[in-house]
Amino acid sequence: MRNKPTIRRLLSLVGILAAFALLAASCGDDGEEAATTTTAAPATTAAPAEPEPEPDPMEEPEPMEEMDAVVHLGILGECEGAFGAFHEDVVAGASLPFITFAGGASNSPTSALEGFSGAVVAGVPIEVVGIGCGDDTPDRIIQEVRKIVEQDGANVVIGPLSGDESIAVANYAKDHPDVTFLNGIAGAQETTMVVQAPNFFRFNGDGAQWNAGLGDILHNVAGWDTAAVIADDYSFGWTSTAGFIAEFCAVGGDVVSRVFPPLGTTDYSSYVQQLPDPDEVDGYFWAVGGSGTNASLEAFLSAKGDLTGDQHAGNLFFSPALAAALGTDIAGAYVGGFASLPGDVSTPAIEEYLASADAAWDSLVSPMSGMEAGSPRAAAAFGFFYGYYSSALAFIMALEEVGGDLSDNHAALRAALAGVEIDGPYGKITLDENRQAIVDTSVQQLVLNDAGEVVSQTVALIPAVDQSFGGTFSPTTPPPDRENPTCEARDLPWVGNAVPVVDGVPQG
Amino acid sequence: MSPTGAVSGSGPARRLLSARNAVVAAATALALMLPLFGSNFFVEFVMTRTMILGIAAATIVFLAAYGGMVSLAQYLFAGVAGFMIGNAAVAQDAWSKGLKLGWNPWVAVVFALAVTTAVALVLGALASRTTGIYFLMITLTYAVIGYYVFGSITPLSGFGGITGIDPPGLFQDHPVRMYLALVVLSVLVYAAFRAVAATPFGIALQGIRDDPVRMASLGFNVSLHRTLAFTLAGFFAGLAGVFNVWWNGQIDPTSISIGPTLDLLIVAVIGGTLSLEGAWLGAFVFVVANNYLRNLPLVDRVGITEARFSTVVGVLVLLIMVLSPDGLAGIIERVRSGLSRPGRPSETSRPPSPPSDAPAGAAAGAGP
Amino acid sequence: MLPGWVPRAAVWVPAAAAALWVLVLARNTSAGPAIREPGEFVVTLLDGVTFAGLLFVVASGFTLVFGLMRTVNMAHGSLFLGAAYIAHEVQTNMVGKDANIDARDVSLLAWILPLLAAGAVVALLGLLMQQLLLRWNQGQDLRQALITLAISVIAADQLLAHFGGVAQPLKWPGTVTHFFEIVGERYATSRLFMLGVALVVGALLWLWLNRTRMGMVIRAGVDDQEMVRALGINVTLVFAVTFAVGSFLAGVGGVLGGSFAGSVAPGVDGAWLLNSLVVVIIGGLGSVKGAVAGSLLYGMVVAFSPAYLPAGYTYYSVIFTFALLAVVLAVRPNGLYGRVE
Repeated sequence: MRNKPTIRRLLSLVGILAAFALLAASCGDDGEEAATTTTAAPATTAAPAEPEPEPDPMEEPEPMEEMDAVVHLGILGECEGAFGAFHEDVVAGASLPFITFAGGASNSPTSALEGFSGAVVAGVPIEVVGIGCGDDTPDRIIQEVRKIVEQDGANVVIGPLSGDESIAVANYAKDHPDVTFLNGIAGAQETTMVVQAPNFFRFNGDGAQWNAGLGDILHNVAGWDTAAVIADDYSFGWTSTAGFIAEFCAVGGDVVSRVFPPLGTTDYSSYVQQLPDPDEVDGYFWAVGGSGTNASLEAFLSAKGDLTGDQHAGNLFFSPALAAALGTDIAGAYVGGFASLPGDVSTPAIEEYLASADAAWDSLVSPMSGMEAGSPRAAAAFGFFYGYYSSALAFIMALEEVGGDLSDNHAALRAALAGVEIDGPYGKITLDENRQAIVDTSVQQLVLNDAGEVVSQTVALIPAVDQSFGGTFSPTTPPPDRENPTCEARDLPWVGNAVPVVDGVPQG
Repeated sequence: MSPTGAVSGSGPARRLLSARNAVVAAATALALMLPLFGSNFFVEFVMTRTMILGIAAATIVFLAAYGGMVSLAQYLFAGVAGFMIGNAAVAQDAWSKGLKLGWNPWVAVVFALAVTTAVALVLGALASRTTGIYFLMITLTYAVIGYYVFGSITPLSGFGGITGIDPPGLFQDHPVRMYLALVVLSVLVYAAFRAVAATPFGIALQGIRDDPVRMASLGFNVSLHRTLAFTLAGFFAGLAGVFNVWWNGQIDPTSISIGPTLDLLIVAVIGGTLSLEGAWLGAFVFVVANNYLRNLPLVDRVGITEARFSTVVGVLVLLIMVLSPDGLAGIIERVRSGLSRPGRPSETSRPPSPPSDAPAGAAAGAGP
Repeated sequence: MLPGWVPRAAVWVPAAAAALWVLVLARNTSAGPAIREPGEFVVTLLDGVTFAGLLFVVASGFTLVFGLMRTVNMAHGSLFLGAAYIAHEVQTNMVGKDANIDARDVSLLAWILPLLAAGAVVALLGLLMQQLLLRWNQGQDLRQALITLAISVIAADQLLAHFGGVAQPLKWPGTVTHFFEIVGERYATSRLFMLGVALVVGALLWLWLNRTRMGMVIRAGVDDQEMVRALGINVTLVFAVTFAVGSFLAGVGGVLGGSFAGSVAPGVDGAWLLNSLVVVIIGGLGSVKGAVAGSLLYGMVVAFSPAYLPAGYTYYSVIFTFALLAVVLAVRPNGLYGRVE
């Protein structure tokens, strides 16, 4: 048999390699220890800080003082997946406050992805060290955040964009106490309520908060007593729907049917078929996103009847901007809010904010301007941009408050962040004890404009919406899923405080 | 004895074998010493991921080179193992999805590998009567259905996935140990695949690859051989999946969706689907390109930005398939044989399928 | 070997059980037993048949190309998506607005012209792909699959860069957007229109393959390529035309699928590649007859499993797709009408 020597040779090879492996493993351990000691050595000379794990102690021995004096900013964007087109929008959003309020200048007049330079806050220079590229999946965002923190050396991270990503990043934050994380616009409830990383801050509402006010208006103004919900079968669909269900039931409505088609469904007809008929229920709430937004609505048209404004409502996906296939019969439907307000509301603060975007860049490529180079204000008016903007703004305010003090794992900075009060263009933002935003949100209505097109119009502002919905959600209650929350009447702090908006002007 | 007669003289083959082993041993030594001089990020991220992807891609190469089956289900098996670890090892009081059985992490590993192997056995038995391109399509379908199964069955995961999965104490907070373990594991997997190829089972498998009808008429159970090879590959892919989930700390259905599935195939293709070593080479190129390409100066001027990484990878694969379907390993082999035997016509100019110029380990085993 | 009745039983016993369940037993389901809720049953059946029509149009192009030249076109879904985007561009230009397009805004011409334009462009793109990248490596099926796979990765990324992640509208013409009553349930004419287009496509395909000289060459080529070549027939031309037709069918499918969903969005390329794969795995690669059978079976499973699973278990409907595949693979590894290689 010729193959015998082959086997023997292989076995001896394996043996040698294994011995080598053991030897090298012990060397490796030594190496690891050596690395720790070399890291500790400069740390003792550098006054108060704990030994901070540096990215590369052997090749770039960098004194601690210098580390402390610079903000190495990483931005987690999204360049693939369902939100891939918003990459430039969110990077621009995170950059704008540093350009407007910290003396920075964009490196390119037509692209935010080139970064900015020259920004200084309270004497601390701000350097963009990395822009991460998510694809809407937790796996990928973890790899991107590791690259930004462990390779590029970021000590402040702004992002990510979408829900499940933020849960993963918040978990990552727990293991990296030397880095401060500010959420981008991700809206998963668990990120702040359950994970509770002490160095993860979120200055935007979660998916449930954005729908505050909707249940109240639909029950008490539109007169719905019963409703059916249809939403994507994953955490954002559940959370968004939970915000509607919690409030609609709190004020006395009843949710009679919950249908959750799986992500990626092609033919929604058999799921729509599970909804009650239009004469059996007062209305329907929709939270189906991506390519499903239109596909599910078309399936409803086919099986159940016209989409009429008095019988349909939805979350942010249910808007002319995202659900481009909605017909004109939909006028009158109520839609939940998002981080920013539609263009019909114009205040001096909003105008100033949008003008600052126009001042920072000549043009940006954004889905809000049809994926062509367009006016930056179009991108800035949308919630994705504004979510990143408000986080960066909060960071600048806090860093100024502490006079640029980044010592002791950003301890002073974090205390200041927890107490920041943003009086932003789209309302007040403060944080609760879980470092989760308490926000002003809004309710929209779809109406026909003079040209006969369906547009969003703001009908009410809901002040100070918090994450708990009067105790519906807490770290010990089951997170939103197919069955939860259950339908229960209760008091919500903001019901009755809604500020009506008429023709874009808040009344009161 | 040989069903193929594909291999010529034994002398050069033996020389090749030893040269090949020397390169592998040198690479292994380098990989083991890397923590002494490489940066933390390079060791704990780039090289750790390279080893995980390398092991998983090697299972594709094993099936393709020795079994003639190009499988797109290997990342699914890595995912099955990961989900099982997530369900079994996460503590009951932790906030997470899944069953949260709270088992000892090593028991969880055994459980995860057992489940993965069983799943691979069943799926392999179903697909085993097909081969070639048909097999590719069936395994792609497995992969996508696996995504929906874990997404839809919320007790096991749901689309949100399982978070907060810690590695066992041995590796927790010891990323360098995990890396070294992966290097050793890589060597063991590599050696195991080559050893299997030299067993009577492996030789029969290669015979089936080349002429299933003839092997069946010789009394070999064709589909059983294919099933067992697929099961073995599934087991090793599961092993890679265990480390992947420890390294990543979480797993969700999109971790095994069509994107990562194709990425793994691309890793195997870059390295060369007929060369076991190519799996790790391809993984290294893929991970390095993913992490460093965008940092090169001026590359964004030619359209290489982090936002268009998929296009870069696509163009890379297209170039490789157009120029050298045997991947980087094929290019290296071509250069090597061109240097040492300038007069001889290149062997690699032959079409790649069926893979008659199989790796040397296999060739020596199947010699006449 | 297993006794002959085992595979037959593996088909008929589950089929009979499913029929019994749907007809009489399905009480705690959203549709209800068919004998008590005939309307729901008819609607579900129509959903299945009409969706099968769409599946057939897409998968027939895929299976045609494979049958003749053994090329698995992994970029089939990209052609589908590309065509849908082209049709969207043409239609919004013809209608004159890109949001809130009402069905009555869309004339029959504003649907047919985008369909033909998209089909033609995609056919041309497919032809280019075949001529530049696939012609010279004919017969290396794996290499071809990986080349088309690379193209699909590039295409998906470039389409995302160009059209963005937000869904873009694509609408049925107003003339087919009506509803009618059937057994007390409302049903959309547009779904029947989609089935009608699929039947026309199927009929034309049948005529082409069975009543023209080239069709006969293709059928002969499917059976024995060497013989056709030996007879001195210009195989190169036949290959090129077949690839263009296969791409055209992907394009028609893309316009139908986009109109059916009301919009075009990234990600459907992968979904429709998978749908094509499932259909041809069930039906048998290379067989147009198999594409019909595979589309019908898969369409029925997609329509019936969510409607007739007990409440609370509808999420497990994906398992039935797998079960269908498993049964077919166990009984006929090469698909229902596939040839044994």
